[in-house]
Amino acid sequence: MATEKHSMSMSKKRTIVNTLSYIVLGLISIIWILPFIFLVLQSFRCENTGIVNYVFPKSFGFDNYIYLFSAETNFLQWYFNTFIIALFVCVLQTIMQFMMSYTLSRFRFKLRKPLMNVMLVLGMFPGFLTMIVLYQVLKTIGLTGDNAVPGLILVSVASSGMGYYVSKGFLDTLPKSLDEAATVDGATKFQIFYKVILPLCKPILIYTVLTSFMGPWGDYIFASVIAIGSETGLNVAAGLYTWLSAAMISDNFTHFCAGGVIVAIPVMVLFMFLQKYYVEGVTGGAVKG
Amino acid sequence: MATVKLTNVKKIYSGNVTAVHDFNLDIADKEFIVFVGPSGCGKSTTLRMVAGLEDISEGTCEIDGEVVNDLQPKDRHISMVFQNYALYPHLTVYENIAFPLRLQKNPKMSQDEIYERVTSAAQVLGITQYLTRKPKALSGGQRQRVAIGRAMVKDCKVFLMDEPLSNLDAKLRNQMRAEIILLRKRINTTFIYVTHDQTEAMTLGDRIVCMKDGYIMQVGTPTELFDWPANLFVAQFIGAPMMNTIKAQLTKEGNKYFVSPFGYKLEVTGDKGKLLAERNVEPKEIYLGVRPEHVTLLPEGQKGGFPVTILVNEMMGSEYHLHVQTEDGTKLVVRIPTINLSEEERAKMVSGTVINVTFEGKAMHFFDIETEYNLLTDNQYHGNDDPEAPIKSDEAKDELHPENNESAPAEEEKPIEESPKAEEEAKVEEQPGEEKPQE
Amino acid sequence: MGNSNDLEMLKKTKFQRFGINFVAFFKSIPQKFKNLGLAIWGGLKKLFWGFVNFFKTIGLTFWHGDWKTKVSYFVMGFGSIARGQWLRGILFLLFEVVFFVYMICFGGSYFSQLYILGTKEQIIDEATGAIVQQGDNSFNILLYGVLSLFFIVAFIYTWYLNIKQNKIAEEILKDEKRLDTAKDDLRAIVDKNFHKTLLALPTLGIVIFTILPIFFMVLVAFTDYDKQHALLFGWVGLDNFKQIFTWTAGGKSFSATFGQILLWTLVWAFFATFTNYFLGMLVAMLINKKGIKLKKLWRTVLVFSIAIPQFISILYVSQMFATDGLINGLFDGIARLFGNNNFQPIDFWGDPWLARITVIIINIWIGVPYLMLVVTGILMNIPADLYESANIDGASAWQQYSKITLPYMLFVTGPYLLTSFTGNMNNFNVIYLLTGGGPINTEMYGNAGSTDLLITWLYSLAVNEADYKFAAVIGIMVFIVVAVVSLVVYNIIPSTKNEEEFQ
Repeated sequence: MATEKHSMSMSKKRTIVNTLSYIVLGLISIIWILPFIFLVLQSFRCENTGIVNYVFPKSFGFDNYIYLFSAETNFLQWYFNTFIIALFVCVLQTIMQFMMSYTLSRFRFKLRKPLMNVMLVLGMFPGFLTMIVLYQVLKTIGLTGDNAVPGLILVSVASSGMGYYVSKGFLDTLPKSLDEAATVDGATKFQIFYKVILPLCKPILIYTVLTSFMGPWGDYIFASVIAIGSETGLNVAAGLYTWLSAAMISDNFTHFCAGGVIVAIPVMVLFMFLQKYYVEGVTGGAVKG
Repeated sequence: MATVKLTNVKKIYSGNVTAVHDFNLDIADKEFIVFVGPSGCGKSTTLRMVAGLEDISEGTCEIDGEVVNDLQPKDRHISMVFQNYALYPHLTVYENIAFPLRLQKNPKMSQDEIYERVTSAAQVLGITQYLTRKPKALSGGQRQRVAIGRAMVKDCKVFLMDEPLSNLDAKLRNQMRAEIILLRKRINTTFIYVTHDQTEAMTLGDRIVCMKDGYIMQVGTPTELFDWPANLFVAQFIGAPMMNTIKAQLTKEGNKYFVSPFGYKLEVTGDKGKLLAERNVEPKEIYLGVRPEHVTLLPEGQKGGFPVTILVNEMMGSEYHLHVQTEDGTKLVVRIPTINLSEEERAKMVSGTVINVTFEGKAMHFFDIETEYNLLTDNQYHGNDDPEAPIKSDEAKDELHPENNESAPAEEEKPIEESPKAEEEAKVEEQPGEEKPQE
Repeated sequence: MGNSNDLEMLKKTKFQRFGINFVAFFKSIPQKFKNLGLAIWGGLKKLFWGFVNFFKTIGLTFWHGDWKTKVSYFVMGFGSIARGQWLRGILFLLFEVVFFVYMICFGGSYFSQLYILGTKEQIIDEATGAIVQQGDNSFNILLYGVLSLFFIVAFIYTWYLNIKQNKIAEEILKDEKRLDTAKDDLRAIVDKNFHKTLLALPTLGIVIFTILPIFFMVLVAFTDYDKQHALLFGWVGLDNFKQIFTWTAGGKSFSATFGQILLWTLVWAFFATFTNYFLGMLVAMLINKKGIKLKKLWRTVLVFSIAIPQFISILYVSQMFATDGLINGLFDGIARLFGNNNFQPIDFWGDPWLARITVIIINIWIGVPYLMLVVTGILMNIPADLYESANIDGASAWQQYSKITLPYMLFVTGPYLLTSFTGNMNNFNVIYLLTGGGPINTEMYGNAGSTDLLITWLYSLAVNEADYKFAAVIGIMVFIVVAVVSLVVYNIIPSTKNEEEFQ
């Protein structure tokens, strides 16, 4: 009898705990999803382009989207800019980062430790510090303002070797004996790289491509500096930001919402497809520090 | 078809850590050499230096008469099997085995030839049905075969194996050990095999190189190492359960030698007794070594033995491993075949029973108490005069003392062992090359 | 000895142990300084011998070398070409030619002005706006001067390499061994020197786009480069740094502003890191709890918010908290429900303290999903038998968390926490896109706001105020703070980093 009672209370307790957990999880989901639903709803609002304190539009319509694709704005230009930047950056950055992390992980050479230490120290400087100089330099070559796109690509790609940590962490987990076996089998260093290690790196390569593709879509700090003074050279982040300035917000808030939706869709779709790799990369990266 | 010659090879890591001291070895063509020793003894490092995966800090390594110090691994004509197999996870078994062949230039191999070689190797190893699988889908034993297959398709001068069986379970290991013996007959080339398992070393090797702390302790055939261990370390490392060592007095009466462990006087007989007399060994305190199988059980009441109390009885099926204690507290391990025991006698083999045992007079070993060298063998390998050779610490010496000689370690366990003092080494005369005990 | 001490420790209570460790930590400080001193001394000694070696090699090689080597001292690569290693030789020679052409035609004049950064002021005719006198451009002088400096160092090093090449080649020939031919050199690109091949491009990028600019900006911190001296500026020594440490009473003092912003930056980084960390862990544990169904759904909901580019969500949420935004609308609605028709909207971004708190709370919303992912992965790595054995030992849920989960997490994520702390110190996006640094505090220097971090302040000083000298100073200070925090924390956390562990 006693045990029966005990087990009853056990299961009762468990039900209560589980119910509470579901309630909390439900609340969490609402808090995290709701702003995005609001964003979408407001992007369909037609009666007022400014900021309002209610959620459901009084009149639904595609006005804001039509506006984005009209000649009145540079939105399409920004969108195109960002897409081009993201495309180039994701390819070049992945290559640069992989070259760096591969070397640091698979080779032992004299300057390896000093090189890593230098990069560690450089990483402690705020990245924006270099922008002040780079802006001036790019300006003299004419890669700022309206021509900011190549400039931004250059700036984002050039130093990307410094972000080698996550992929090095992955590479470090591949057993060194693979390299040794291949060496004994007669492979050159390049053949080891190309035939043995590279095929095993698909997950981390996809992770790097994904993160470096997503980066430019949210990059405000570099774009706002390099494309300063230009209307057409901006990327979506810097462009949409201008719509929220005190002077423009009352005319453009719903446009911003619509723009946000259009920017979010491709990135989101890509992300959801490659989620698995992203999660792997994030966890691996954190554990390896 | 190649000899391997290592001359004064040293491996010094940055920070002045010396992993291998002055390694000298001549390996004959088609010989099967086993490097054995506890982990960290430098056996793998030596192998990797032969392979070219580690730089040789000093000395030379010759393969087939050619100095290969500066050659890359691929130019040394070697094959190697790794401890963790090192199979390429993204390639099928077929591609894994074909990998070294595809990389071969002048002459470049045709697809047909590669196919021919891979399939015939697979057939030998019994992995034909797995050729299209990826390594992930294979069991440990199958992976091991693939690794061997990849190493054997290539024409090589030296076949290197780095603890190839240590990742397998005990049963598979025994099976693969037998297969390696067969494989060796088929490939018929020079083998260097690294292991920490003395059973593998004994069963596989034509000659065994027993190492410790970067020094060669003894080189010889399995029988030599077992019957004539050059020092206490080899004596305890080879053979399982571990050899019993007891501090005892060696005495001489006329032409006969006696030892007196725990106050009992036992005569040294057989070859050992003759040799002691021949060499006219001075009576002194020594370490007496007796293998557990050379401790014999005496029928009750028979004289010449001494009583011991059974502490633990391990029934192994064909034999008993008895952990016993003598009257003065010394612990010994005794190995007794069950076949000679009656049902009644067996029932008595329990904790607390006092039994009467003795040591075989012809199977005793005598080690110098200072240097730990075998008094009856000539060749000493302790670091070849290197003053840096491992020196026995006083603290650790206690461990060796018979009182603390708790129980025999399992096969894989590193025997607790100490090495000789360096000062003594210099005194010992050396005769490099042959290492047979005196006849 | 140490062993018995450790055993003694086991008898002590937690509090006593803490006390002992605390004292031991302070006792160890002199030793640590001594070690640091020794390390620096060792480094200096090494450097000194490096120099000695450098000159010794140069001298001895010249003395012992044959005529080919001797010519190589002036015509780089000559020896290599003469010995048949023409590929290396030509590269050496090419580098020398490029160097001298650059220095003579371009870099030399800038380099020579580096010490003063130009003297001529630009004069503009005020009536016509035409430039009367073309002034010196200090920015260019500094930039190309620094570039030339880098170039000179690279040249000296290459020259040294060239000499060493000759020395090595001579030694090889003396031993009657074969020299590497041009063909061998080419083959080495993909084999022996493959790591150099792979590193070449990324390192070059880092040198030109990170090291050079940072070096430049560090120099700018010692000049008076700002709005008033946009074209012609000069060296001012440590003046800018002195400003940080000179306390001037009254408004707009740089030192007071700096102190206040630094403090807020540290407070922000602390809260941003740990709120996210613990709440993220909580959410992850909730989702991973036994018996919770639809795990994948809950996780996907959170991951979904990572997928949307951050600037969209941050900007949108920032507007939600505006005085006429959704949150105030919601409050207004609630107030009406209770019969209060006179709700005064809360100015989330107008009040300094409210803004700071709001920023931290919104950052939870932004950061928790990411932390949830990180933590989930690690939670799954905790061996299940730890919990099973704890269950058998009768540990409660809280005890399991505090004795198993938390120590394990802290141990594994120690380095991650450190990087996320320093990352949050430099978290430009969240602060700038949420508040723009505001509300602006008129008491502070350079239009700084109450939520400004050092990094956003640096941004606005450079972009809006063109106050480059202080921007550079702040950049250096950020570096110093990050370095100090990293060093201290790194010495405290148990090091989990062992690169070779897995290989």
